[in-house]
Amino acid sequence: MFDHSVIPALRDALHLVTGFIYPNELELQWSVLIVLYPYITGLVAGAFVLASLERVFDVKVIKPTYRLALLVALAFLLVAPLPLNMHLGHPERGFEIFLTPHTSSAMAMFGFVYIWYLMVVLLMEIWLDYRKEIVLWSRSEKFWPKRLVYKVLTLGVDNISPRSLEIDDKVGKFLTVVGLPSALLLHGYVGFIFGSIKANPWWSSPLMPVIFIFSAMASGIAGVMLIYMFLNWVRNVKIDMPCLDMIAKFLLTAIIVAFSLEMLESIQTIYEAEEHFDIISLLVEGKLFVSMILIQILMGSVTPIILLSITQLVSLSEKARKFFYALAGSLALIGILAMRWNVVIGGQFFSKSFLGFTTYKMELAGREGLLSAITLEVLPFIILAGLLYLLPPWEKEESGTAANG
Amino acid sequence: MKDIQHLLRVAVIFAAAIVGFLGIRHLLVPESFGKYGHYRAASVDEIAALPMRYAGEDACKRCHSQQAAEKAKSSHKRIACESCHGALLAHADNPRSDVKPRRPKEAEMRAFCGRCHARSVSKPAKFPQIDLAAHNPDAPCNMCHQPHQPM
Amino acid sequence: MRKFTRSQFLKTAVGAAFVAATKAFAAPLEAADKFFREPPWKRKKPYWGYAIDVTKCIGCGRCADACKNENDVPREPFYFRTWVERYILRRSGEVQVESPNGGIDPWSDIQDPETVTRSFFVPKLCNHCEHSPCVQVCPVGATFKSEDGVVLVDQKYCIGCRYCIQACPYGSRYFHPVKHVADKCTLCYHRIKRGQKTACVECCPTGARMFGDLSDPNSAISRFYEYEPTQVLKAHIGTEPKVVYKGITKEVR
Repeated sequence: MFDHSVIPALRDALHLVTGFIYPNELELQWSVLIVLYPYITGLVAGAFVLASLERVFDVKVIKPTYRLALLVALAFLLVAPLPLNMHLGHPERGFEIFLTPHTSSAMAMFGFVYIWYLMVVLLMEIWLDYRKEIVLWSRSEKFWPKRLVYKVLTLGVDNISPRSLEIDDKVGKFLTVVGLPSALLLHGYVGFIFGSIKANPWWSSPLMPVIFIFSAMASGIAGVMLIYMFLNWVRNVKIDMPCLDMIAKFLLTAIIVAFSLEMLESIQTIYEAEEHFDIISLLVEGKLFVSMILIQILMGSVTPIILLSITQLVSLSEKARKFFYALAGSLALIGILAMRWNVVIGGQFFSKSFLGFTTYKMELAGREGLLSAITLEVLPFIILAGLLYLLPPWEKEESGTAANG
Repeated sequence: MKDIQHLLRVAVIFAAAIVGFLGIRHLLVPESFGKYGHYRAASVDEIAALPMRYAGEDACKRCHSQQAAEKAKSSHKRIACESCHGALLAHADNPRSDVKPRRPKEAEMRAFCGRCHARSVSKPAKFPQIDLAAHNPDAPCNMCHQPHQPM
Repeated sequence: MRKFTRSQFLKTAVGAAFVAATKAFAAPLEAADKFFREPPWKRKKPYWGYAIDVTKCIGCGRCADACKNENDVPREPFYFRTWVERYILRRSGEVQVESPNGGIDPWSDIQDPETVTRSFFVPKLCNHCEHSPCVQVCPVGATFKSEDGVVLVDQKYCIGCRYCIQACPYGSRYFHPVKHVADKCTLCYHRIKRGQKTACVECCPTGARMFGDLSDPNSAISRFYEYEPTQVLKAHIGTEPKVVYKGITKEVR
């Protein structure tokens, strides 16, 4: 149904080509949906890393966001495969990736990394962490459909003896230890999808997975931080400032590392100045000037680094810090989205003959249009709302404090 | 044992899921997949069985032996019939079919022959080329040159 | 379980050390012998190869047109299994390339012909690479290299992820707008299996295009591979194309 809209659009695009491109290169193959895919997976990996910091590295101060981070990761992970599948020419054949995965294909490994990460790591970890509450809620919940869900989630075992909870905690900790490399693998592999394409010099780089991992951390940490601030504002609960300060420190670190790696890669490209250098400099000076130089680098990396550094160097009031954090986090999220755009779309603008550029005009409606993209960006938040309703992450802190106190 | 009962249930669920997946996978993977390599071997035969459109010169010669003989003596001897006359397997299979050999009309002829013979610096210098604007501009090519014996 | 005595352990350890030491000596020497890798067409029969003699190409575009006719390639000017490019090299060093409707439409007149140092036509098609990046990245095994060396797409199995199109360094693949799968040159597999020439070779009036069985040492293609001064496109990426070119210059990509 969608194919007939492609041809008139491409006929128009013919007049917008500059220089020479191979004739088949007129159509830009990976649309805005494939921009969202690494963005969403990045948020998953980043949120999980934040949770792991508390669990594995014992950064107790960020405990208030531990469960929230896990739920955020789950909400986004559930949406992550949607843009991929929606983009397929034959979505109904997508399951073949599980039937006959080609071991030499980075994309084929998606299925396995995804299932491993979703089922074994994330769901298990959340379940183990919530099991005590789930059992208690399954006894106390008044609203019967919700009670039924809890009953199912207990798997029919309502043993919450101290010994069983101790075991849960041990297994949970083990899963986090396994989960950390899994999260990095999940996103590193997304970087590898691009980094391994030797046909495209804008992508082909061993640094690509590493850059993806660190920008993923930055986006996930910023995402959880903003959601935490927003939720506390909505619930009218005071923000745990030591926790927020610590998250901001991690955010600053992640942005600095990601940005440094990106710049190192750029310097390498400029210094080596290979065959493709001319076309790439034209790309950056031209079609990507706004999205790369202005949004990704100046607005999305340099500004947050400056803002967060100020909070570290100058002692500011709580209110000012919150403002700086929120602003820096939002800018970083926009910058990382721009970075995904520049990688995915930018890498398809220039011809592999290195002699010209094609164009991309995002459609508004349509399967791969702006509206789909916005829907896919909103969907994780709807899922998150459902998860927060079902598994409120704040119950534990309050009951925990009560028990401790 | 009692305290890890819930974990055992999870293990059972995972085990069931894996067994179920393997079972479904066994049913859904195409039969010929993996016979030669990581692909569906049957697809090679499917591609090989696709219909042709060009008959090949031998098919033309069977009926048009006179033209073929003329052409064989000319400088166009290495050019296949269908290079100028179009894809004609349907015609070869059934001469009464709607698919007819392409014969450029007089008005199109200079452009048609010019496609190969118009002068251009991009063409190999040895190749016979004419300046379309200067070389008898109003005459159709076949006034002097017969395509099957051009010189 | 068998008891493992200390003397046995020592013997094994000494033995292992000896093997490792011998290997350490021999490996650098053996590596040189492994340098040569026999091409698959010495083992497999038939094995298809393709060659283009740019010094014979007149840019008539018959090949690109014939290919579309033979293979139901959409007639739009942005879907091609094969196409022809015209290179114009100028004294200033400027390189101009064009391919109006893949070379099916007439070429534009060359501006300032006195500044042109060299101009020629370069037909392009899938290179049927020995180490095809498109095959490597296909997640499901829908694109593959057949036993006789032709890179094919299984249109019933392709999920349409377009990863192969991204991975092809030569722009040889496109996304079929109706079938919603990747599509590319099959080397007219349905023709060559029936003993016919590919449509492009059949219709080439000057013999600029040729194909044949590389496993037959007496075939024209084998002789072309062995005796003509040939190059492949983008040799540095290590795809090992089985389409070789005679007469292209360093500007051709």
